[in-house]
Amino acid sequence: MQIFCFALRNFNRARTRTWITVGAMAFACAIMIFYASLLEGWLAGMEKNAVGMDLGEFQVHVHGFRVDPDLYKVIVGQEALLARLQEKGFVAAPRLYATGLAAAGNASSGVELRGVDLAREQLVTALNQHVWQGQWLDGQDRTGVVVGRKLSRILGLRVGDEVVVVAQAADGSTANELFRLRGILQSVSQGVDRSGFFMTEAAFRRLMMVPQGAHAIVVKRQQSTENLNTATNRLAQLLPEYEVRNWRQLQPVLARLFNMSDVSLVIMLLITYAAVGILTLNALLMSVFERIPEFGVMKALGFSPWGLFAMIVVESMLQVTVAVFLALAAGLPLSLYFSRHPIDFSGFVQSSSTIAGIAVDARWYCVVTVNSVVLPILFLYLVAGLAILYPALKAAMLKPLAAISHR
Amino acid sequence: MNNTPLVQLENVSRIYQQGKVRVRAVTDFSLNVQAGEFSVLCGPSGSGKTTILNMIGALDAPSLGTVRLEGRDLAELGRSDLARLRRDRIGFVFQAYNLNPVLTACENAEFVLALQNIPKAQRRQRVMEVLAEVGMAELAQRRPDELSGGQQQRVAIARAIVSHPAIVLADEPTANVDSATADAILDLMARLNREQGITFLFSTHDQQVMDRARRLIHLRDGRLEHDEVRG
Repeated sequence: MQIFCFALRNFNRARTRTWITVGAMAFACAIMIFYASLLEGWLAGMEKNAVGMDLGEFQVHVHGFRVDPDLYKVIVGQEALLARLQEKGFVAAPRLYATGLAAAGNASSGVELRGVDLAREQLVTALNQHVWQGQWLDGQDRTGVVVGRKLSRILGLRVGDEVVVVAQAADGSTANELFRLRGILQSVSQGVDRSGFFMTEAAFRRLMMVPQGAHAIVVKRQQSTENLNTATNRLAQLLPEYEVRNWRQLQPVLARLFNMSDVSLVIMLLITYAAVGILTLNALLMSVFERIPEFGVMKALGFSPWGLFAMIVVESMLQVTVAVFLALAAGLPLSLYFSRHPIDFSGFVQSSSTIAGIAVDARWYCVVTVNSVVLPILFLYLVAGLAILYPALKAAMLKPLAAISHR
Repeated sequence: MNNTPLVQLENVSRIYQQGKVRVRAVTDFSLNVQAGEFSVLCGPSGSGKTTILNMIGALDAPSLGTVRLEGRDLAELGRSDLARLRRDRIGFVFQAYNLNPVLTACENAEFVLALQNIPKAQRRQRVMEVLAEVGMAELAQRRPDELSGGQQQRVAIARAIVSHPAIVLADEPTANVDSATADAILDLMARLNREQGITFLFSTHDQQVMDRARRLIHLRDGRLEHDEVRG
């Protein structure tokens, strides 16, 4: 308690120096809270595009389908399987896949045909809310399709235009049908943008002569708090006859990117705080050096070496704590403001820009998470703690007599 | 009755290394100080007064010989033990007062009691009594920079005696004050010695201090020149 009182008194002693140090720490911490929130927002946007628009959290396939996608490798009896999944606390939607050729006017392009269960798909992805122009699929519109943004450009399609699809149906016949474009998706991923061709499950079955089964079951956790790997294992145990993969396994490059982003945040923290650490070290060293005679007297009067060490550490931690409050007062409102008002990089980033095949949103939001606030604060304490060690140890090791007569 | 001297110095020498030169500050010095004494180490500058005071105060260690306080050999104590010994058994009055600039007079006087973990109410009461003793009760809430040299030295004396130490070591306590203030400070210490039995050991070459001493230990070139006990 006494140590805390001393530290408190000394806090305002060299006012200018203390507040410059506190200000520098607060500024760095506020910037890092903002940067971490922006990074979280950027990652959340990427994850939303990858998981929420395309992959889903998990996918279930027949073994071998992912290596060699084949129209005939279907999960049979998907309704029973969907019921089992629902019973175990998962939400799921079946998908059908095929490849074909789409043509409009003089243009043509290879496409990935996707048949979706409209009612269930919206439980596992938010594609229906990700339409750039026109509208999402409608069960009543038998010929309506939705395509990726880049594909619409390649084929020169506008909403309402006709587009012909040619493919080889499951029965060996040539599947071809005239569709009408209902909508164009916003950027999702390289694959979807370039070749995504969405239609209703019924339209797909009719076109491709696939009366039953599904090529993939897209699954989502009901409780997003459940650990991804735990849920994957639970799902794999539940469906041992199928191949179960979570989105990190389906998109390992993206998963690595996400992992690296944590590392990049730590590196940014270290770089930013290294400068702060040097400033803090300098300020604290000056503070210790100019008080050496005073420390000598304190030790002469019986202040223990470790008491002095603790006093200097508490002094600096007090400065860090004030800096943290200032950083929160500045960094948190800033991050919260940009969580509602995105920074628009559309002037610098093309709308179709992708990283690891996943679309990057040109509008960056901040997402304030516990991590984005706590990590910069913890690192500030850590760096300041390391910076204070030398001055505090130096003070603790002073010999009282030499210290009293120090000039 | 315990006849062990409060302070015992036996054949103490203190040699400093200054660059390549070895300087003998104290040579083969022996001294006993009994409880209740009001004694002065006197001599010209460089005679070793302050060095002896520092060794008795466990701030410095002899190169040769033994220093004992209340029968305990200081050489046998570690850093933390020495810190505790200084805190509990020794009071210091420095030439430059050496009050903590961020603490009030009351808090400065309270410092040692706080280190001893005395409960706040108890130590406040004790400090106010002692500040009243030294005539500083009314200025208790002032910081050192709001006090004169004499007032600061009174606070330093209060800090030195507040924890009932075995001995108060005062290094040139009147060097930075005018003669009237010096007189007042010496009156105060003499009274504390007389009324409370506090042992004082000064180092000085101030005649005013020497005139008050009941024992004068004359030093020259780090050696005992003459030990004079007055009536």
